[in-house]
Amino acid sequence: MNTNTPTATPLFEVRDLRVEHAAPGGQKLNAVNGVSLRLREGSILGVVGESGCGKSSLARAMLGLLPVAAGSLFYRGQELTTLASRRRRGTQRGIQHVFQDPANSLSPRRTIRQTLEEPLALYRMAGRDEWPGRIARVLEAVGLGSELLDRYPNELSGGQKQRIALARALLPDPDLIIADEPVSSLDVSAQARVIERIRHARKTFGTAFLLISHDLAVIRQLADDVSVMYLGRLVESGPADRVFAEPAHPYTQALLAAARGNGAPGSGLKGEPPSPLTPPPGCVFHTRCPRAMDRCSRLNPGFTVAAQDDCGAQTHLVRCHLWN
Amino acid sequence: MNTGADTTDTFAAPLPARPPSSRVWRRLRDDRWGLFGLLLVLGYFGISLAVWSGMAGQDWSAASGGRWQPVSAEYWFGTNVLGQDIFQRSLYSVRVAFEIGLLVAATSTLLGALLGALAGWRSGSAADDAVLFVAGVLDSIPFYLFVAAVAFAMRGNPWAMHFAMVATFWTTTCRLVRAEVMRLKSREFVQSALALGLSAPRTVLRHVLPNTVHVLLAQGAIVIVAAIKAEVILSFLGLGVHDGVSWGLMLAESTQEVLAGRFNNLLAASLPLFGILLGFNLVADALQDALDPRATPA
Amino acid sequence: MTARILTVRDLSVRLPAAGADLAVVDRVGFELAAGEIVALVGESGCGKTLTAAALLGIPPEPGGRLEIRTLKIAGREYSSLDERGWRNARGRDIALVSQDPLTALDPVIRTGTQLVSVLRRHGIHSRGEAAAKARELLGEVGLPDPAGMMRRFPHQLSGGMRQRVLIAMALSCDPAVVVADEPTTALDVTTQAEILHLLRTRARDRGTAILLVTHDLSLAARVCDRILVMYGGRIVEQGPAASLFESPAHPYTAGLMAAVPQLTGGDPPVVKPLPGQVPAPGHLPPGCGFNNRCPRADTICRKQEPELTTSNGAHLREVACHRPQRPGEPGNPS
Repeated sequence: MNTNTPTATPLFEVRDLRVEHAAPGGQKLNAVNGVSLRLREGSILGVVGESGCGKSSLARAMLGLLPVAAGSLFYRGQELTTLASRRRRGTQRGIQHVFQDPANSLSPRRTIRQTLEEPLALYRMAGRDEWPGRIARVLEAVGLGSELLDRYPNELSGGQKQRIALARALLPDPDLIIADEPVSSLDVSAQARVIERIRHARKTFGTAFLLISHDLAVIRQLADDVSVMYLGRLVESGPADRVFAEPAHPYTQALLAAARGNGAPGSGLKGEPPSPLTPPPGCVFHTRCPRAMDRCSRLNPGFTVAAQDDCGAQTHLVRCHLWN
Repeated sequence: MNTGADTTDTFAAPLPARPPSSRVWRRLRDDRWGLFGLLLVLGYFGISLAVWSGMAGQDWSAASGGRWQPVSAEYWFGTNVLGQDIFQRSLYSVRVAFEIGLLVAATSTLLGALLGALAGWRSGSAADDAVLFVAGVLDSIPFYLFVAAVAFAMRGNPWAMHFAMVATFWTTTCRLVRAEVMRLKSREFVQSALALGLSAPRTVLRHVLPNTVHVLLAQGAIVIVAAIKAEVILSFLGLGVHDGVSWGLMLAESTQEVLAGRFNNLLAASLPLFGILLGFNLVADALQDALDPRATPA
Repeated sequence: MTARILTVRDLSVRLPAAGADLAVVDRVGFELAAGEIVALVGESGCGKTLTAAALLGIPPEPGGRLEIRTLKIAGREYSSLDERGWRNARGRDIALVSQDPLTALDPVIRTGTQLVSVLRRHGIHSRGEAAAKARELLGEVGLPDPAGMMRRFPHQLSGGMRQRVLIAMALSCDPAVVVADEPTTALDVTTQAEILHLLRTRARDRGTAILLVTHDLSLAARVCDRILVMYGGRIVEQGPAASLFESPAHPYTAGLMAAVPQLTGGDPPVVKPLPGQVPAPGHLPPGCGFNNRCPRADTICRKQEPELTTSNGAHLREVACHRPQRPGEPGNPS
């Protein structure tokens, strides 16, 4: 990261990350396999893929909840994987999270106030007398009133709980919020409200987001950049406008076609993704790829530049033999 | 057939502000037998407080009257072979039973909760294996044999019985808590606390164990019953209370007396014992029902 | 229009409430033609799942009650059927595909055994014949290796496979009507597309009428022929999918549309949530039930409940609104 311009150091960088899960029978399964990402300050990076593609493992590894088997994580240029857990926790203030399930994301026996005060106490933020003001400010930012503070999570609707989770994530003034499927279990209107609040938080606080979702339309609403994952690997990444307008990888094309399609034949992919325990040789997608060629089953393609945008900062990369 | 699907929409109804604990109280209040049990337990608790504070049952050891006095206004339940007031002895036994029950329940619940939390949190680790192994060994020794062995090994120690009970009673609590913790630790609010940077012990104490109180309370009440029963049986066998009095000792005395047609000791020990056990059992059942997080809110 | 397969008139679902019964579904009526796919759309709490269950004669727990004036399936009247009659009719004349394929299947029984038992209950007596038919059905819904599938337990199948098994069960007796309650919500996009394709093919080839219950208006517009929009237990708008999606007349429909993220080419419009929350049952405002969330509401909306009437003279479109949006008018100004 030897560069003179301060903006060139990404806020968060994932380099060749591998995350392993223990599988039955003592086997090892690569949930995330050689993934690299760069997150710019104040930007929203969407990670999209089908269930089981490793996107949640990626999020959990970035949060320090899963061990990193290989590769590195850099937060503001600082390597996290080599930090002792105590020091690692020190960086935790800057990286917050919102998880998927509103029914489970808040501690059931703690009031909303207790839940929101926890990060303030943990990071020793401001004096106790300043807490109510800070809490009121984030509640306003997520569009909730302070009358909820003395309630318990089971007295809130799913959308309200999810916005409380967002409020808790915003309280410590983080640089980055890792949001794993933050709206996928919500009703349309609640979903729209959380999307609106994420957009608002980015605009007012300059918080960057890593937004994980299986729903392309949600990613399209928020993300500046998109990375597409398949079977633990990144297959395409680039500016959202470009990826949505001209998807380069056949998998991305299929995902978009399926999401835009009307259930007419040909809009879906054949079959189910293979088991990550035994990923196919060569390109991992070749077993379902409508355009697979001979070499796809033998050679794993590297990244190719599909297009370069005007300033050359964000490139559209694709991992497919069609582009070689 | 797949017609038995959800038939209700979830309504985003504005709920009144009410903590979960008040729901528990409401369910307890509607449980008549539970309330009756609670009343019984409170009655016994009052007696043991009175004994403890010196207001009653102080003359249990004084050989005040003649031996085998009949029931009278002075000696409500008569006197025993040494001329001691059986009523006073029974009153004092309430305190003994209560003390042992609460002490053993509290200690074994605490021990079971901590070891269960450790084992569940680090399930599959060496610590988990060790806890499970010890619990398995203790469970496989017959209880009274174990107590006899402990009593023999700790001869003269007044805490031998307590120790033996705690050593055997914590295992069930431990297994229950372990299972609950394993279930809870993958829940998002626990992962959330860890991602926030909370240390593992703090996460367990603050976010995991509070969600096992339903197990701890209900199991605690069950242990109280078991401890009181065990104390009576051990004292009866001569392995429990030595230099004091207990329903068990009174029952031991009565074995000879009933042959002679004297039932004072037998009744004065067994009836209050029955009452206290019934009370705690009913409370345990009611607690279990009221605290069950899976039960539909009433 | 082809033959009417399902006719519903004045279907209400009542729940016991303090004082009087509460109509959580209120005098709903619609029709399905053979081979037609119709969406029933609304937020959770609007009564769409209750309506779906009511079509199969299932009242809500606890203590719910159905009140149906007319429920005709393939020419037969079902509104006065008792529970025993319904047990025979369910699966045979009208079948349900539920939202959660994991809980709808018994976890400890092999999928084949479950499918065979459904077939045998509805008239195939020989075990061998039923097993052969089961394999055929699993093949029909696009599952590879049907014989192998039959030996598996539900947890050994992926979500998409389980949903296919459920569809196979629903189709096993060739029902005239299939009610699919959020059949793809739990699935990935690519699987979703395949399941929808499967339902469409079935409707086209066998003339099965399908009622698709969903909260996703954009999915409804892409897949269905017609859309019914529900709010507060009533149908507030209905019409052909394309026309309704193009120019929603009811402000609620417009609001729902603005809340759903779109994936059309170019820059999609920014989503706008509907103001407020779905009121709890029994807490609907007087007059039009939507007036407290409606940007167009005025005095008459707060006084008088609008009836479902032909909208703007447009063909086949109906709306229950005093102040409907006209085509070309700017959308929900919130």
